Amino acid sequence: MAESYRLGLFTYFSLATRNLLRNRRRTLITLITMIFGIATLTLLSALNDGWLSQMKTNFILSYTGHLQIHAKGFETSQNLNDRIKDPEEISRLMQSYPEIIGWTQRIRTSGLASVSGNSAGIQIMATDPEQETWVTSMDQGIKEGIWLRPGMSHDLLLGRTVAQNLGAELGDRVILMAQRLNGEMVSEVFFLRGILETGAPQIDRTLAVITLNSAQQWLQMDQTVTDIVIRADVHDNTDVLYRLFVQQLSDLKYEIMPWQELDPMVRQWLEFSDAYGFVILFVVIILVLIEILNTMLISLHERQKELGVIVAIGTKRHQIFLMLLLEAVMLIFIGAILGYLAGSLIVFSVADNGINLTHFANAFEFFYMDPVIHPQLTQSSAIKILGATLAAALLAGIYPAWKATRLQLSQALRIQ
Amino acid sequence: MLNQQAESVIKIRDLHKCYWVGTMPFPALYGINLEIESGEFAVLAGRSGSGKSTLLNIVGALESTDSGRVEVLSRDILSMNQDQRTHFRLHNIGFIFQAYNLIRVFSARENVAYVCQLQGKSKKESMEIANHWLQEVEIGHLGYRRPDQLSGGQQQRVAVARALASNPKLILADEPTANLDSMTGRHLIRLMRELNQRLGTTFLISSHDPDVKQAASRLIKLADGQIVEAWNDIPKPPSSITSSCPMSNLPLTERLQNYFKAARGNARNKKRRRKTRRRS
Repeated sequence: MAESYRLGLFTYFSLATRNLLRNRRRTLITLITMIFGIATLTLLSALNDGWLSQMKTNFILSYTGHLQIHAKGFETSQNLNDRIKDPEEISRLMQSYPEIIGWTQRIRTSGLASVSGNSAGIQIMATDPEQETWVTSMDQGIKEGIWLRPGMSHDLLLGRTVAQNLGAELGDRVILMAQRLNGEMVSEVFFLRGILETGAPQIDRTLAVITLNSAQQWLQMDQTVTDIVIRADVHDNTDVLYRLFVQQLSDLKYEIMPWQELDPMVRQWLEFSDAYGFVILFVVIILVLIEILNTMLISLHERQKELGVIVAIGTKRHQIFLMLLLEAVMLIFIGAILGYLAGSLIVFSVADNGINLTHFANAFEFFYMDPVIHPQLTQSSAIKILGATLAAALLAGIYPAWKATRLQLSQALRIQ
Repeated sequence: MLNQQAESVIKIRDLHKCYWVGTMPFPALYGINLEIESGEFAVLAGRSGSGKSTLLNIVGALESTDSGRVEVLSRDILSMNQDQRTHFRLHNIGFIFQAYNLIRVFSARENVAYVCQLQGKSKKESMEIANHWLQEVEIGHLGYRRPDQLSGGQQQRVAVARALASNPKLILADEPTANLDSMTGRHLIRLMRELNQRLGTTFLISSHDPDVKQAASRLIKLADGQIVEAWNDIPKPPSSITSSCPMSNLPLTERLQNYFKAARGNARNKKRRRKTRRRS
């Protein structure tokens, strides 16, 4: 068996670099194509991440919070009998988690609203006006009037669409009708103090907000509630908190739901966006791969004789393989890094002002999106882009490198 | 001078090689028998297509054969696999090509050092060896230049240095002077012959350059894939070289003797004619 000698890594790098510089124009054109491709990919990825993040934030802050705790079965039944009987016990638990920056108790039930003969089905949400501002940004969605005042038991806020449908104006008397715990239908007069937009039109079509105290009295729920809504300090801590609550409240009395489970449509949309991101990544990487493969095959064709010579003088085939592979990897790696830097520069330059898509605002608002998208560079997208390009480099390099090892020496040496 | 007791560096027995173009066979070598001893400066001569390069490639473990036996340095190279052949070439054979075939992206010194690095020597040691051999071939001062900054003759000297740097026992040179002008070619041949005599390295050269043939310690003429004539500068029985061609051994020596007799006779006649003219 022949002894195996190793060529120094420096020699491989030196050969690969010089071979890339041998035909500078071709290398430059290949690099420019790659830089353009990877920069575009970085920008698209940042746009995708940016609007996904905005959508997530809007969804969480407009209404749902990061996590909700209900009595077991409430989310499906929406029945007031499935309520949390001792919310204070859970509230005390909250204080031990620094990842929680706010929580609030709510009562949710469906009902009917009528104003001057107009009536509409509504979703009544009763909350603590002060606590709510720690959990959602609903108070900032007030377009007319004022946010709920603590202690003012007959204050009412309506979503913009439901207010329009009812023809209600600020100060109007609005009669709300709902079912008590015992099934009895009751009605109560409230005064419209504000009209709000949550950022989600489907919520604004039915939302009616009253104070928690008034709802507890009106619906005879004592100190019980239907939801405890929690806001985490950062989105990524949702899973951590979810796991902690599942451990702490695992006695089947409660159901703990992260925001993704509260609106399956939003979750589907996020998954679709991930898939779309992968498709874009795949297409760009395939284009890059073809470009590199083409360059490497032309280069291999031009250097057949030289490769024949270096094999003749004693270079082993696996060393030839490594040399060629390293060339492809270096070319793609340089292109990927420069492309990512170029893409990042574009992202940084537009991140503050965002990309204004106001013309398409109607199409986006359904998905909790802002019409101005702020592209965002994330670690995961960087890993995805650079990892995929490296994989492409290996794929693009393997075939020419393998082809080089199959070289017919006598034929290669005869090339003029 | 060749030692009568010298061991065989190359031993070829009944070698056949045929190329195929589609279904058409093109015999390249036909029944070659050849033995080259250590320290020889042997030249394969013949027209284009006579089989010189094919024979050289087979001896250099670059090409396979159809039948026959080829031993180089007592190793049966035909039974080796690709990696074993590469290893064998690296440690035992130096190559000099017609078109120099230096690695374009390396300097002259790096081209020479590359072979040493392949042998597992450190970069520093390889560079020192490269410097030594570049000085041996009288271009030590040009080590930093890339091949495209060197003349043809200088490039071929780098190729000679590269061939010698791995300390091989056999150097195969395929038309080494074909791309050089006659003066540079003569210098190169003189250099190679000198190295051959000083180091004792065996050279097998394919060439149709008369200067190369003149420098040969043995001339082997190929025609149509057969050895047709062979001649040694040392008086040696011609039976050391045989060929399947029945007329291969004697004619060249006889012809050369006749040629020199005739040449001497012509010279005498010319002198006589001149003397006669002066007298008249």
